[in-house]
Amino acid sequence: LTHYRLGKNLPGSGNFVLCSLSALKLNTTAHIPKMTPPIIAVLDFQFPGFEYHPPAGDQTCFGYLQRCRVRIQRWGSQFLASRASPRLSCPCQTLFHHPSFPQQTHNRRPQSTQATRLPPLSDFLEPSQSEPTPSIPPEPESLPSPPPSAALSSAKLAALHARLSLPPRFPLQTLARTLIHQSADPNPAFNNSSLSQLGTNLLGYYTAEHLMCHYPRLPMSVLFAAQAAYVGPQALAQICKEWGVESVAEPGGEVDPGLLQFRSIPAGASLPSTSQGAKTGRPNAERSHWNTSTTSKIIYDDQFGSPQPPPTPSTSSPNRHELQPPVPLETASASFIRALIGATYLHCGAPTTHRFYTSHFLSRHLSLPSLFDFRIPTRDLSRLCAREGFEPPVARLESETGRKSRHPVFVVGVYSGADKLGEGTGASLNEARVRASAAALKSWYLYRPLEVCVPSAVEVGMGQGGGKGKWRPNLVDLGEVIT
Amino acid sequence: MPLSAVKAIAKGQNGVGAFILQCKRLDFHYCDWAGSSKGMNAFIKTFLPKFAKQNPQIEITISPRPRKHPVIKGHYINGREKAICVRNMTSELVLEKATLLRDASGEKLKRVNKPVQSMNESVRGIWSPHHGARYQI
Repeated sequence: LTHYRLGKNLPGSGNFVLCSLSALKLNTTAHIPKMTPPIIAVLDFQFPGFEYHPPAGDQTCFGYLQRCRVRIQRWGSQFLASRASPRLSCPCQTLFHHPSFPQQTHNRRPQSTQATRLPPLSDFLEPSQSEPTPSIPPEPESLPSPPPSAALSSAKLAALHARLSLPPRFPLQTLARTLIHQSADPNPAFNNSSLSQLGTNLLGYYTAEHLMCHYPRLPMSVLFAAQAAYVGPQALAQICKEWGVESVAEPGGEVDPGLLQFRSIPAGASLPSTSQGAKTGRPNAERSHWNTSTTSKIIYDDQFGSPQPPPTPSTSSPNRHELQPPVPLETASASFIRALIGATYLHCGAPTTHRFYTSHFLSRHLSLPSLFDFRIPTRDLSRLCAREGFEPPVARLESETGRKSRHPVFVVGVYSGADKLGEGTGASLNEARVRASAAALKSWYLYRPLEVCVPSAVEVGMGQGGGKGKWRPNLVDLGEVIT
Repeated sequence: MPLSAVKAIAKGQNGVGAFILQCKRLDFHYCDWAGSSKGMNAFIKTFLPKFAKQNPQIEITISPRPRKHPVIKGHYINGREKAICVRNMTSELVLEKATLLRDASGEKLKRVNKPVQSMNESVRGIWSPHHGARYQI
């Protein structure tokens, strides 16, 4: 080896290199011999047809779906005789699966930790040996939602079942059904619309009876707001997020059954409720500038006092193949939770459902005093005292400081005779008086009896205090003060 | 209308009624070639089935991450993720880390200085200069 200075107008020219003359003179190129790649497949999903997939979350991207579809067609041509076969209508029938196709359809993407092996090819070389009419399950991509049989092998679904502490009686297939909104699958036998209807009524019943029995004097508008705060659509959407339920990018038969499936409304599109206009079934509904009274809200609107369209024959029996309009995530989340309550009621009965409701919904904290918004509380308090036969309310200054300064503090108490009804502090005498009246009204409206008997507990036989199933009537109030 | 209502949503109190475990998913990444993944591979074979059985509410995923250190990634309900690299750890230590991720919520680690955190006001009330025997009206 000697030092050479490389010549020619090439990269490396002018540099000193330490090498042999033969290395500079002989023109050789490295030849990589052609060899078959060594087998590095060890685990199930490393064999062809079961390539390594990134963890779920990326599974729903469209490019991935395209590739998988092509691969399935190539695989499927070997042993799938026919593609078109109707979906089984009864969920119980899908529990019996064909022995030659053990959970084959959802094995294409092993989202669970197990990837079951394909049956040996010899099974498929003689299809005549099998039953005379083999029920071949259709391709999952052709279905609008995953088949109920897929529910048994979804890790997400099983995790959701355990996270909510659902009783073992509640089947996974029903839980999968509650996650399918009608916009994803219009078939009412496979979506959650019917269960959601039952659940809406149950949630409304339990919440309304809790509020009305525990707070008999609550004004109607505050009652509507409290109902919406516990089981309204925004509250249910928040609860759904807190339960860790993820939603699909696009619904289809191949998605994980543990995801919330619905067709998402595009950004900027108008919401379905506003598109229907003012069709509420009340007289003079088309005069939108007219006020709606509380009584008409009770009669014509839903449990939250929001306008709802009257039930029409078309909505009561939806066509199986009619595509439903896309909905926002809030609507789909609310429908899932309502369907879950409905399904719990059907599978597990009323006591379990009430316990589930109490632990998940009633345990949430709602500050009822903060829901009140008064206009002229002094006038309302005066009318209330006149109605109840109390002495007219008088405001008295109890304490003050800094009257001539930039930030005075006045403490005012409102008295009816010798009884103090309420107290308020403010930066001016008037403000303190108004706050005191508002506090007095809140103390009236938020009256809460100590022992309360709730109707659903009596129905079920879980009556508290009065023995098993004994009904003790609750206070029914005159109503809020009218001014 | 004399009285109107303010729209609000009830605030959840996890554990007061039902308890929702905040860790919803654990990803275990191992490597067949790297020596740092020996403990993780042993953990997956020995401890993980029992761990998964004891925590049915966590979705557990196992996937190879070739030519990388083994890592456990936890996904939480508030949308955040926590990852712990378990390179060169024994399987018992990996189990400890998995338990740590399971017991954590997704919140960032915060120092807590006060002994009590509560939504309710104090039982005896805070002293006020405007109330007391001094003031007679």
